[in-house]
Order: sequence, then structure tokens, then C-alpha cells
Amino acid sequence: MKKTFIALLLLAAGSAFAAKPVTIKGSDTMVIMNAKLAETFMRKNPEAQIQVTGGGSGVGLAALINGTTDIAAASRPIKSTEVDKLKARFATLGVGIAIARDGLAIYLNAANPVQELSLAQLRDIYTGRITNWKDVGGKDAPIILYSRENSSGTYTYFKDNVLMGKDYSPRAQTLQGTAAVVNAVSKDVNGIGYGGSAYAKGVHFAKVRKDDKSAAYVPTLETVRAGQYPISRYLYLYLRAAPNGDAKRFIDWCLSAEGQKVVTDVGYFPVK
Amino acid sequence: MKRVMAILCLGVGLVTLSARAQETPPAPPSTEEPQPQPQQEAEAAQPPAPTLEETASKLDALTEAFTEMHNSVDALSKMRITGYILAQYVNDESSVNALSSAAATRNKDQFSVREARVKFTYQLTPTSRFVLQPEVATSGVSLKDGYVEFTEPWTQWHHTVTAGQFNWPFGFEIAYSSSDRELPERARVTRTLFPSERDRGVQLSGLGFGDRFNYKAALVNGTGTLQTFDFNKRKDFVGRVGGSFGPLDVGVSWYRGAELVSVASNTAGQEFAKQREGIDFQLVTPIRGLGLRGEYIRGKQPPLPNAAANAALAADVTGYYLYAIQNVGTYHQFAVRYDAYDPDSGHDLPHVAANAKVATLGGSYIFHWDENSKIMVAYERLKTRGFADPDDNVFTLRYAYKF
Repeated sequence: MKKTFIALLLLAAGSAFAAKPVTIKGSDTMVIMNAKLAETFMRKNPEAQIQVTGGGSGVGLAALINGTTDIAAASRPIKSTEVDKLKARFATLGVGIAIARDGLAIYLNAANPVQELSLAQLRDIYTGRITNWKDVGGKDAPIILYSRENSSGTYTYFKDNVLMGKDYSPRAQTLQGTAAVVNAVSKDVNGIGYGGSAYAKGVHFAKVRKDDKSAAYVPTLETVRAGQYPISRYLYLYLRAAPNGDAKRFIDWCLSAEGQKVVTDVGYFPVK
Repeated sequence: MKRVMAILCLGVGLVTLSARAQETPPAPPSTEEPQPQPQQEAEAAQPPAPTLEETASKLDALTEAFTEMHNSVDALSKMRITGYILAQYVNDESSVNALSSAAATRNKDQFSVREARVKFTYQLTPTSRFVLQPEVATSGVSLKDGYVEFTEPWTQWHHTVTAGQFNWPFGFEIAYSSSDRELPERARVTRTLFPSERDRGVQLSGLGFGDRFNYKAALVNGTGTLQTFDFNKRKDFVGRVGGSFGPLDVGVSWYRGAELVSVASNTAGQEFAKQREGIDFQLVTPIRGLGLRGEYIRGKQPPLPNAAANAALAADVTGYYLYAIQNVGTYHQFAVRYDAYDPDSGHDLPHVAANAKVATLGGSYIFHWDENSKIMVAYERLKTRGFADPDDNVFTLRYAYKF
């Protein structure tokens, strides 16, 4: 009986101190990059366990607030309402760490002759004021808008920084994930979409001008770093408090030259 | 012996024949035409390969079905349903074994469903919202929240007009959900001055200066939701302005109104001033996981209906609370609250126990089981000042589930 009790106690203690995986949940834009970072990190640190899932930046931050993930991946800064919830539940302001930069690319079908757009044109296209490609130098055909669901950080970032807070046109079709947007545009000669610059299969990036006087650029390491490409953003990992344990080791590694190389290999841009 | 040998031989012969019969496949029927082989039969059974047009047609049909499904899901996603149930056991020292009506029972030691709510939010566009929150209780269904909202899209302030039944925009604790609260009930000052926490009216709110400043201002009946009608013509004003400065949030609230109360000298009702001023703060301390909250309210409270002549006046009232909440890891929370309410801080009312100041010291432990459920154990010690302190401490064990 005594032995059984001790065995049970040891089992309980063992399970209590067993290595718990670090969970990362959130941005669909970041999910491929995070999975690659986690995979490479775990190969070098076999004792560490990092689990990566998507769902959108809003979903990841909600999970951080209700305590079901250790790290939220977000392609936009945390909102004040989300910070308020963290304050109320955990008495913390949260900690955000930028691990990569992204140039938010404008996807056009490979057969679309339009090569460049200004921010004002993009705003007018996505708010529904411009509805025909001929108004922006293309052929006489309707513009088919592809967008993201509203839990997406990319959706929010684009709305805040390109649409300047205005509402999307009700004609915009919402799709789950950047890959779905790229896929839709690659099959629709009149389509336009937006998303991370790491996704580019079957589409071409429109050059984007800040205004009529400035030059147009596509998102590249140089143009994003130099601040020339006008729609660039940071990609963040958010935690409830300063990281420790495996989470800290993983984030430190992400910010190292080795981690930043993975970021670049995936198609995003390093923060350092 | 010969007979036995003959029977044995016959038996062995029969068994052998039987075994052969099982091993040998049945002979094919004798026909003149050659029979197709099994593989050929399988090939013949397979339908012909679809043409490119047929495949494209099927794909179109699937795409159409998917688009319809997507549209349906998109429409459904505009409706958000949330809710919670608070199931609890309360042990109250003031409980008395006595037979009486359900509404007047003096026994408070019981299992109960403190609140059971489902909230429906429908948002077709970012600028308008419909919110309905009924409460389902054993006594029936009542409306807790029912309002429509319009948010202007033209400025960064996102000024919002709310019309219907909603929380009084005063202080912090009123709008802080029961499903999130760290002690079973709101502080006594909040419960007394803002019963049911809601009123009917119209509200304007906004958030600006980089989300650092927020305001809410409302015109309301002033009767709360416990009364069906507003008996006086005047409407009450209530509002709060708040600021957020990193770890510190502060707010100043103001309420001005009047209440019609039936008194002995005027049974049709006499108007009494109903005023409150408040200040609140919420602080995230440098100590990991420790938060502090506090609120101070003072004002004038109309008398109860048919109050004695010497009590028929708007009395000065004051009250406050202070919370300390310590989080330990993701699952554990400890909270302590001290609150006090003085229904006669101006000493104008008769010196009786009902008008005495009451202070409460409460503590709780909350275990967050998962993202939906938590268990709370709380004990509150009540102290009536200036009079014999009655036995009225309360123990609560609560299981809360929200989705």
C-alpha cells in the first residue's frame, strides 16, 4: 500500500513537473514562419516543445487573454481594448516583441496589366469608390475584391493604414487565410488581394506609391528596410508577462542571426 | 469387426470427399462462349472516365454550393452568442429556519443559480450593432440589456450613440461583468445606489487621443430597471470621463437627477434630489500579477417610499471599496476587498441600525479551470458600525461557466 502511494505520488509529481509545451496561437500571416521557426528551434533544442496554430491575430490575442495560449502571434499591434482585458484578468499590460517585418503586398493576377497603384487608389478600390480597372490604368473590367475575415490582423492593419479607418466595400469577398486570397487572385484575372509578402505563387505584386509624387515600389528587403515601401508592418509575439523558460529561449533565438535567417528564408524581413 | 471396419472406411471416405469438395472450386457452367476473367469483369463494371466538361461542370456545382455555404456562414458569423451561468451555494449566518413565502424567505443558506444569461449581438456593419441580453431565472425571463448602437465612421473617436436599456455609465464596477468579478457581489455602495446596474435612455460615448481618453454621457429615466415606468417627467444625467495612462486608469463620474417619492404629506409624490459623484482607479502594480482597484462615491439619496416624516429627506451618502487582486500563474487568483457604505454620512436621519454604516471585508480564491469555467470560494465579514453587530457573515462557493 505504502509503495503504491509513493509510486502515485512520484507519478503526480512527475506529471506536475513534466515539460509543458509552449503554445503559440494567432496570426495566419505568421503561421508558416512561426512553424518554421519552431521546427528549426526544436531540432536544435530537442527537449523544448513549441506548438504553433493559426486562427488570426484576434483569436490569438483572445486566447492570450483567457489563458489558453502562452504566446499570441499578431500581425498588428495589440488594441487598447485587448490591453484593458489583460489588465482586468491578469493585472498585466502584456509584452509585445517584434520578430519580423512584413511588406503588405498587393496581389494582382499574373495577366493583369496594371503594374502600380497609389495608396489613395487602393483606398478607393477597397472602399468601393473605384470599381473598374480602367480607372487605374487597366482594361475595362470590374475589379473583384478579395479580403480577409475581420479577426485577421492583416484585415485590421490594412483597414487602419490603407483605408484610414474607413469601411471595406460590401462587395469585398472575405477569405480565410492569406493563401486563400493568393489562390483566388491567381485564378481571377480581375481579382485584387492583399497579404504577407511571403505568399506570391501565381500572382504578381503591384508596385505601391505613397502619393502621386513618390516612386512606386514592391516589397523587398531593401525597400521595406529603407521605409520606401509604404505598407510595411511589424509581426509580433505577445506574452502576458516578460518571457521565461523555453518561451524566453525561443524568442531570444528568433531574434538571433540564426532565427532572423529563418524569417528571411520564409519571405519576411528581419527586424535587425 | 468387419462391420466396424466397413463403417470406419465409409466414414473416412465421406470425410475425404467432403474436404475435396470444399477445396475444389465449382466447375464453370459449360457454355460455348469464353467466360470473362475477374479483372475484365471489374473493368467492365467501372463507369467510363468523366470528360473534361463533366469534371468542370461538377467543379462549378461544387463551387456554387461552397459559395452558398460561405454566404450562409458569413451571415451567421455576424451573430455572436455569448453567455454565462453562475451556480452557487451560499451559507449566510443571518439565515433563519422559518416558513414564509418564497419572496420573503429568511433562509439564505441554499443552492441557487445566481445569474443565467445569454447575450445576442448582431453586427451587420461595423457602424451598427444590436444587443439583446435576457436573463433566465426560476422566476421567469427578464431583460438585462437591450439596445441598438450606431458608431459614426467619420472620425477616429468613433462616437457611438446607444439607445435602449444599458449599464449606467458611472464608475468601474457597474459595467464590470459578474462573470469576471473576483468577489460574489458588487460592493454595497454600488448595489445600493445603482440597483440592477442598468437604466433606460440614450447614451453618447467615444474614445480618443490615442485611446487614452474615453467618455460616456447618458440621459436616462433614473428609475433603473426595477420599475417599469418613470413616474417623474424629468430625466437624469449620468456620465463618466476616463483616462488611461499605461498601468493606471482613472475615471470621474457624475450623476444629477431627481426621484419622485410618495411621502405622508404628499402621496402623489414629492421630488427629491438624486445625486452622485464618483472617482475610480485601476492600477497594474510593478509586483507581478498584482492589481489594485478602488472607487469612492458620495451623493444624495432620496428616502424610501412612505418614510417617516423625520426620514423623508435626501440624505447625504458616502461609500467606497478597495480591491487587491493577486494572480498566481495562469490558473490561480486571490482577491481581498474592503468596502464601506454610510447611508447617512450627514447624520440627518434617525439614529437607527438601518441607517448605520456597514463595512465589509471579503476574501476569495478563484481557480480558473479552463477558458470557460472557474470555481470561486469566498468569505465576507460584515461589520455594522455603532450598533450591535449582527451575525451576517457570508460564505459562497460558486461555479461559473461562460462562453
